[in-house]
Amino acid sequence: SSRLPQTVLFRGSHWQTSLLAFRASLPVRAQPKKKKKVDPRREQAQKDRMKKKIKKLEKAAPEMIPIEDFVAPLKYSDSNRVRSLPPLSFEETERRVLLMKKWCLFKQKQDKAEKKAIQTLVEAQQEALKELRLESEELYQAAIRRDEGLLPFERDGPNYTPPIPGYDPPEGKCVDITKVYTQ
Amino acid sequence: MSAALAKVLCLQKGALLKQVFVLGRAATPRESRLCAAGDALVSCHRHYKSRPTHGIGRFKYLLPKEPPKKRKEKVQMKEINVGTEYEYGDVNIQMTSYDMCLVEHFAQYVHKLCNRLAVKVNESYAMPTKTNEVLFLEERGSKMQLDAVLTTHQRVVQISGLSSTFAPILLEVIQSSQPEGVHLSVREHTEADFKSRLKSRPELEELLAQMN
Repeated sequence: SSRLPQTVLFRGSHWQTSLLAFRASLPVRAQPKKKKKVDPRREQAQKDRMKKKIKKLEKAAPEMIPIEDFVAPLKYSDSNRVRSLPPLSFEETERRVLLMKKWCLFKQKQDKAEKKAIQTLVEAQQEALKELRLESEELYQAAIRRDEGLLPFERDGPNYTPPIPGYDPPEGKCVDITKVYTQ
Repeated sequence: MSAALAKVLCLQKGALLKQVFVLGRAATPRESRLCAAGDALVSCHRHYKSRPTHGIGRFKYLLPKEPPKKRKEKVQMKEINVGTEYEYGDVNIQMTSYDMCLVEHFAQYVHKLCNRLAVKVNESYAMPTKTNEVLFLEERGSKMQLDAVLTTHQRVVQISGLSSTFAPILLEVIQSSQPEGVHLSVREHTEADFKSRLKSRPELEELLAQMN
């Protein structure tokens, strides 16, 4: 009687019908076999679903972010905001017209001077290149090539006043509150 | 009799040209039925096509041709950078400033200048506006006080086919007329520049990250 396994005395579960087949008596067929068959299938199905979703999202064309500058705020389209200007005197209108003419003339001279400057620059450059060609063909070819160092070019605009010496700015910070658009 | 004749001709699957069929439309019904036999395989039983009233009610061919609806552009052009003349590819001239009118007028000026100097302008667009809140620390106290809300505006003029000898001249001219407070930046056009104009798609990116 000592040879008999312990399961004779305590039946672990009602599944343990036979004494010798100890481990096989448990419902082995159900849980672990499911993991072998359905898991890769389930993963595959999941991947397919994700691919479908990605395809659907990619089908929609990407949209441009709307530019807030080109959208006038609604408060400015209120009809109450109309100014009533007083009528101008004759001298005032004359003064304005003459000022406009002077400004036009000034801008015309400025524009002509700019065009002339560009033309002289281009002519001087062409002459220099011609002379260089006569001097040496190699240097001319190297000069014609594009300049790689030219392109990432940054320049700040000129300032009205130079920086104040010894200026102590207050401490602070800049917070970016741009509206983020998502599709 | 003509109907029987038409049927006989239909049964013979002759290889008459379709041009005969087209010409037959203007002719009288009897003649056109004979000609209609050219399209023997398709429609020998549809007599109405041979009638003079065929095509009545057609009007779309009279309307002016509409251009096909454009889809949102996804592809961007990239020129060959090294050529015999040594030209630059797509170049972006970016102007940034806090003052919108100034930057717009400067962009218009640059565009007109490029037109005048026969430099090809691909596009002239605006980048999205950035808003910044400037806070400063009060002299006596630890609270941050709102100083101003600044908006940064950026305009881009995209040119291409700039020759290497003319590029420094153009840059010189633009620099000389640069207004105060406008930051000028000239650089090559990249895909990242194009992508920064588009809306972000967090869901798509999440799914793509999960895939990989």
